[in-house]
Amino acid sequence: MTRRKFIEKLIKAGSVIIVGGWHLTKKASPRRFVRALRIKKYPGSLKPLRNIHKQGKWSG
Amino acid sequence: MKVQCELCPKRCVIKPGQSGECRVRINIDGVLRTVVYGYPCSIHIDPVEKKPLFHFLPSSGILSLATVGCNLHCRNCQNWEISQANPEDSQAAFCPPERLVALAKYYNCPSVAYTYTDPIVYYEYTYDTAKLARDKGIRNVLVTAGYINTEPWKRLLEYVDAANIDLKGITDDFYRQVCFGTLKPVQQALIEAAASGILLEVTNLIIPTLNDKPEEIRQLARWVKMNLGSDIPLHFSRFFPRYKMRHLPQTSSKTLDMAREIAVSEGLHYVYIGNIRSKTGQNTYCPGCKALLIERSGYTILQNRLKDGFCPDCGREIYGVWK
Repeated sequence: MTRRKFIEKLIKAGSVIIVGGWHLTKKASPRRFVRALRIKKYPGSLKPLRNIHKQGKWSG
Repeated sequence: MKVQCELCPKRCVIKPGQSGECRVRINIDGVLRTVVYGYPCSIHIDPVEKKPLFHFLPSSGILSLATVGCNLHCRNCQNWEISQANPEDSQAAFCPPERLVALAKYYNCPSVAYTYTDPIVYYEYTYDTAKLARDKGIRNVLVTAGYINTEPWKRLLEYVDAANIDLKGITDDFYRQVCFGTLKPVQQALIEAAASGILLEVTNLIIPTLNDKPEEIRQLARWVKMNLGSDIPLHFSRFFPRYKMRHLPQTSSKTLDMAREIAVSEGLHYVYIGNIRSKTGQNTYCPGCKALLIERSGYTILQNRLKDGFCPDCGREIYGVWK
């Protein structure tokens, strides 16, 4: 193997390691969100709106 | 795949199928989703003074709503039955933003309050409703602990007209031990709210033995004056034993009066006491000539002497949104 070919192989191998490492790091880190998307179905139970005109019992 | 919620300073990293600390923002297939959008657990028309807002459209009714969930877990929470509830164990009505705004119109409410739990955790619902309400000429009020990151906070403030933000204590220890949060983000949110130009009022719930020392109250009043301004109304609110703090007594009227005196002596112009009957502690006085401007008893206004937001005696402009 010539010196030139050896250096080419070294650069290729280094690139593969860097790109692979970056890819794995990206995959392992969580996706970031500020806004959340809505879901269609409420996980609890639904009730009708009632007593809107009355003062709320909750603080605030 | 895990997701990270960047809405509040907790920055929860959420595994698939699980929720963040607020219980209402969940990871479904690597996407962050809110389960409470359009599903309030409570909607009522309250007097605006109940929020409490004393300098915003006095004696008007305000359509007030909440979904379940909260990003703080205050051991003294007065509304823990809904703030600390799991959505799957709760009941809610279907009420998308269009319907909410229509309800406000139907009941002649000039404003909508996002309140009771914390509008931060139902951020998208609050944001979309506030935007629509603004388009329809209805004003938006937040009642919040202000535990939110800067970017979403600034975006939401664009559609907010008024807010009452809790400053629950003035030490980081208090926030960590009582609320499971931290102080700095709340102070930052308060500063940004004041700078945004919305009508801002601040509430401090005084809990016996935890944040009722005169020097702490003085420090809190000084911080409000230095960072928000002496015109920002400050409400000292009475604590009642609730949730995980049933062993503590309710706040005495003496302590509340003392807090008010300290804050006034520090130079704050509008200091009130709440959750208690008081002859003078809920009235608004002119900071210039000391004349009585608005006399209140509980949530009722007994007399309002303001003339278009000005003192009728000395002509000084009074901080607020009066019409």
